[in-house]
Amino acid sequence: MATRLKEVDAVMVGMGWTGAILARELSKAGLSVVGLERGPDRTPGEDFILPAIRDELRYVQRLELMQDNSVDTITFRNTSTEQALPIRRFGAFLPGEGVGGSGIHWGALHWRFTPSDFRIKSHLSERYGAKAIPEDMTIQDWPVSYEELEPYYDKFDKLCGASGKAGNLKGKIVEDGNPFEGPRSDEYPNKPIKSAAPSLMFADAAKSLGYHPFPAPVAIASAPYKNSEGITLGECQYCGYCNRVGCEANAKASANTTILPLLRGERKFDLRTRAFVTKLVYDKPSKKVTGVVYSDMRTGEEYEQPANIVVLSSYVFGNTQALLLAGISEPYDRVSGRGVVGKNYCYQFEAGAAAFFEEREWNTYMGSAGVGMCIDDFNGENFDHSGLGFFGGGYFFCGQAAAPPIAGRAVPHGTPRWGSEWKRATVKWYHRFARFNTQGSVYANRENFMDLDPTYKDAFGRPLIRMTYNGTENDHKMSRYLLDKLEGIIKAMNPTHYEMHPRPRNFTVVPYQSTHNTGGTMMGADPKSSVVNRYLQAWDADNLFVMGASVFPQQHGYNPTGTLGALAYWSANAITGQYLKSPGPLVRA
Amino acid sequence: MLSLSATAALAADAAHGKQVFESCAACHTDRPDQIGPSLKGVVGRKSASLEGYRYSGPMRRANLVWDEPNLKQYISDPQAKVPGNRMPFSGLREPRDVDDVIAYLKTLN
Repeated sequence: MATRLKEVDAVMVGMGWTGAILARELSKAGLSVVGLERGPDRTPGEDFILPAIRDELRYVQRLELMQDNSVDTITFRNTSTEQALPIRRFGAFLPGEGVGGSGIHWGALHWRFTPSDFRIKSHLSERYGAKAIPEDMTIQDWPVSYEELEPYYDKFDKLCGASGKAGNLKGKIVEDGNPFEGPRSDEYPNKPIKSAAPSLMFADAAKSLGYHPFPAPVAIASAPYKNSEGITLGECQYCGYCNRVGCEANAKASANTTILPLLRGERKFDLRTRAFVTKLVYDKPSKKVTGVVYSDMRTGEEYEQPANIVVLSSYVFGNTQALLLAGISEPYDRVSGRGVVGKNYCYQFEAGAAAFFEEREWNTYMGSAGVGMCIDDFNGENFDHSGLGFFGGGYFFCGQAAAPPIAGRAVPHGTPRWGSEWKRATVKWYHRFARFNTQGSVYANRENFMDLDPTYKDAFGRPLIRMTYNGTENDHKMSRYLLDKLEGIIKAMNPTHYEMHPRPRNFTVVPYQSTHNTGGTMMGADPKSSVVNRYLQAWDADNLFVMGASVFPQQHGYNPTGTLGALAYWSANAITGQYLKSPGPLVRA
Repeated sequence: MLSLSATAALAADAAHGKQVFESCAACHTDRPDQIGPSLKGVVGRKSASLEGYRYSGPMRRANLVWDEPNLKQYISDPQAKVPGNRMPFSGLREPRDVDDVIAYLKTLN
């Protein structure tokens, strides 16, 4: 039997970005808050320090900060006709674990979705006719507009000390920024971080073709910055260790550096690590989640933590699994198309390229995941899709995420994988290559979804979440179109040699592609078509709020963290401003 | 040399030092979970002596007293003064900034 603990005002299930933001905002409003985190505690002082943090084998290859598959994983199949198998070691995507979650190891690309992204279904119908949207494309409008969300995007910018160049300030297009972005109420808190030589070559080539290059927006401070919580963030040192590790210079934003230093000192807040939540306690008749059950991973003891408000702030898979296990809202059924939980699972459809320049030489060992230049000319509805046979798009990026010793050695295709020829090529090209990426959208399809696996269970005996996903015809066409345009820019850079890397026909769970999994607990206008309302409040449990990218109706051509951070603040504002005054549904069904 | 640095210290501007210190403050705060050790009382302190902070091996072996000349050398070029220490900072280039930061650090004692 689980030991029943004293009731608190609010409990967070997961202490990554969204759990930390909600815990901070709710404890500021005077609520007693418990933060439950399945993994260990992680602090900058212990975990983000030199020299350990530059151990590429430990962090980048052996994935020390990621979810422990031996306790819990997901199963995967490409289509409903196949038998799904458990992922024993994450590859294509890397959910994080521990305080800070995936927000520790991210590359910190810091984007907003465009105004038309938020009303994509209406927009496509208006622009191309309602019949233009394929029947199996289950995209939906967001129940919140860019304009409503803008102040919260701005708030998240100022928490992170984001660096970049505005391209649209209050409706006025600004040179050298992204002219396609929605109107910003304020400039980025910090100037863009420095760019790398190949990125600047890319920008010149793009400009010569009539495109609109701009520096990548990042949640990395380009200068010392006092953030919205009064915490000083450091200046990027361009050390080259961003992806899959914490930041040694306190420059890359994470919950651990921007919020937790204060939250830890908050008397109303209680952080419990190694606390694995196995169950939402759902009282269906009253439409309330009365608390959560968790296991202490050190002792095996089980506890029930009653709470007035439950915030589900784990990753996309955990959020969806928790709702399916608790029986909150109707599970999605692929055959009938009815139900919502698990529906509209989306991903990021990225494809890239590499180019080699015999006559050039630059310091590829330096950089950061966000160092680079972009164009946004072929994203979302920034271009006309008439006659193209697909919808969606993505931004192009030429960056220098640095080239660490194990994985950072690009050689032209066809080079032997070992031996003296490989060594010669490595020496020749290490300082002379550039990498490119297209950040393709994934517009939801009725065949891609999540449900509970009928066969495989986790360490607690709960069914694993099962992912059924493959790249759609639409997304493949979109990606080929983007690569074709990218190739034009690369040619204009005049490389010695280049190669395009289109996505293979079938999605596989290796190698790494992107940790941009979205959907499963969609937000929407009504309970028939969504799991949570515009304030991220569950339609079928009014004291349950679901955070993160699992509420995205589909994935657009940008990294998701900027939007999920803004949504967390937007939801927190609705809870403290409206819900606490009169608990109940914030939107009438 | 001694008299020169004494003069510089006199002329040093702690208020300006506080501004320069912004680029240090991301890591050096009083909060226990931070990347760098607290610098409260560092002037005159023995190196690697703050309890509870995990110093690097080179810093533990440095055996210095953080008096003004040592601080000056360290802040100007951390890797030259304590080779192999793990502070990810390459040093302040302007001698005036170094003096002013030290003047500011003194106000924390």
